[in-house]
Amino acid sequence: MHKLITILFLFIDLLVDGQSHPTMVNIKGGIFLPLYSLDSQKTIVKPFFMDIFPVTNEDYKKFILQNPSWSKTKIKSIYADTNYLHQWNSDTSFNAQIALSPVVNISWFAAKKYCECQGKRLPTVAEWEIAARASETKPDASKDFKFNQWILNWVSKSNPKVLPHVGSTFKNYYGVWDLHGLVWEWTFDFNSALTTGESRGNSGLDNTFFCGGGSFASKDINNYASFMRFASRSSVKAKYGVPNLGFRCVKNKIGS
Amino acid sequence: MKLKIIALCIATIFIFSCNEKEEKECCKKDINKTEEVVKDEMTANESIFNLESKWLKQNKDSISLKELSNKITVAAMVFTHCESACPRIVADIQRIEKAFSKEELQNIQFLLISMDPLRDTPERFIEFSKEHQLNDNWICISSNNDATMEIANVLNVRIKPLAGGGFDHSNTIHLIDKNGNIAFQQNGLAQEPTEMIEHIKTLIK
Repeated sequence: MHKLITILFLFIDLLVDGQSHPTMVNIKGGIFLPLYSLDSQKTIVKPFFMDIFPVTNEDYKKFILQNPSWSKTKIKSIYADTNYLHQWNSDTSFNAQIALSPVVNISWFAAKKYCECQGKRLPTVAEWEIAARASETKPDASKDFKFNQWILNWVSKSNPKVLPHVGSTFKNYYGVWDLHGLVWEWTFDFNSALTTGESRGNSGLDNTFFCGGGSFASKDINNYASFMRFASRSSVKAKYGVPNLGFRCVKNKIGS
Repeated sequence: MKLKIIALCIATIFIFSCNEKEEKECCKKDINKTEEVVKDEMTANESIFNLESKWLKQNKDSISLKELSNKITVAAMVFTHCESACPRIVADIQRIEKAFSKEELQNIQFLLISMDPLRDTPERFIEFSKEHQLNDNWICISSNNDATMEIANVLNVRIKPLAGGGFDHSNTIHLIDKNGNIAFQQNGLAQEPTEMIEHIKTLIK
């Protein structure tokens, strides 16, 4: 009888653990300074859970089966452009070889909806950047030359025709895979990256187009890859589908 | 002992059923939505009336965007604590307002959408309306962070929160027709509203 109970307990333990965050890990939070900002604009990030992997085509198919109004033929054009799920053959099918590759050509609206349906949400820029500055061994490798060089190498390569599967790059300090080296990822507040189309260097924001726009100096001049991410966030619109832009979800820690 | 086992079993069932419930709810919502879409074929794919967010007006009434469909709408995203651009954007819209007769204005409404839901309460909006002499034809609305971000993205408005509680943001005036489609957008402050006025005139003809 005792054995039986122990087994049951173990089973329930597994179940509870497995149920609460089976595919997520804890990110400890910290302070994030946006790329173009003053010291006073430090963002404090609370600890949160992050998906270990980017969302795959297979994951996204499950969502489509339950939410058919988000399939590629039914989605409203306010929520996605014509690139939406371009790599899929139909509303619910794609080549088996990309099943475990990250889903791309996905709009911000669709990514946001997907996360909501999992009881999760999209990460903020600050959350994403804090998780992504971890190398394999350090929680903050933003000053690590080798780490930055590795990311830059990826950024400067062209996209492979078939995206590799998730879990094919490296697992960082927190246990999160593929934050660099596979696809770029949507963030909840990507639209906080403000530049005018023509702004260069320190020209500043065009004051008639943007309210505010006083300072436009970078804090992280050595981190070229973070410039690239900033540029990419400032150039996309929420309904865009982009062949190397995917997403993953995060979740608040209970009580935070 | 037996009791414990029963309790465990009940707990197990409970865990399972909770989870199931949670999962289905999201889909259920979506199924409802699909039905609504079928019923409501008048709402075009590009219409902002597709958004289901709930908003609070300055008179504390709840409003959804669909309810804006009886008039054409001239809209802008603002925050009332803004010291530089927002008063100017309001002045720019008032300039547009002045270009129309009383009769024409019966078909036009002016909408200020808050990008600062925490501070732009109905009370604050009433104060702001008084300060800027906004008449009954002006609607000021605010919602939550999610809805705010969603509408900003639909209107292609960029918003960067600043440390002092303010925002850097795009200055755009949007013209929305009775079907919720964006008919025209005027970018930048203190522009000659000639084009905007022309577009409004075509819509109210």
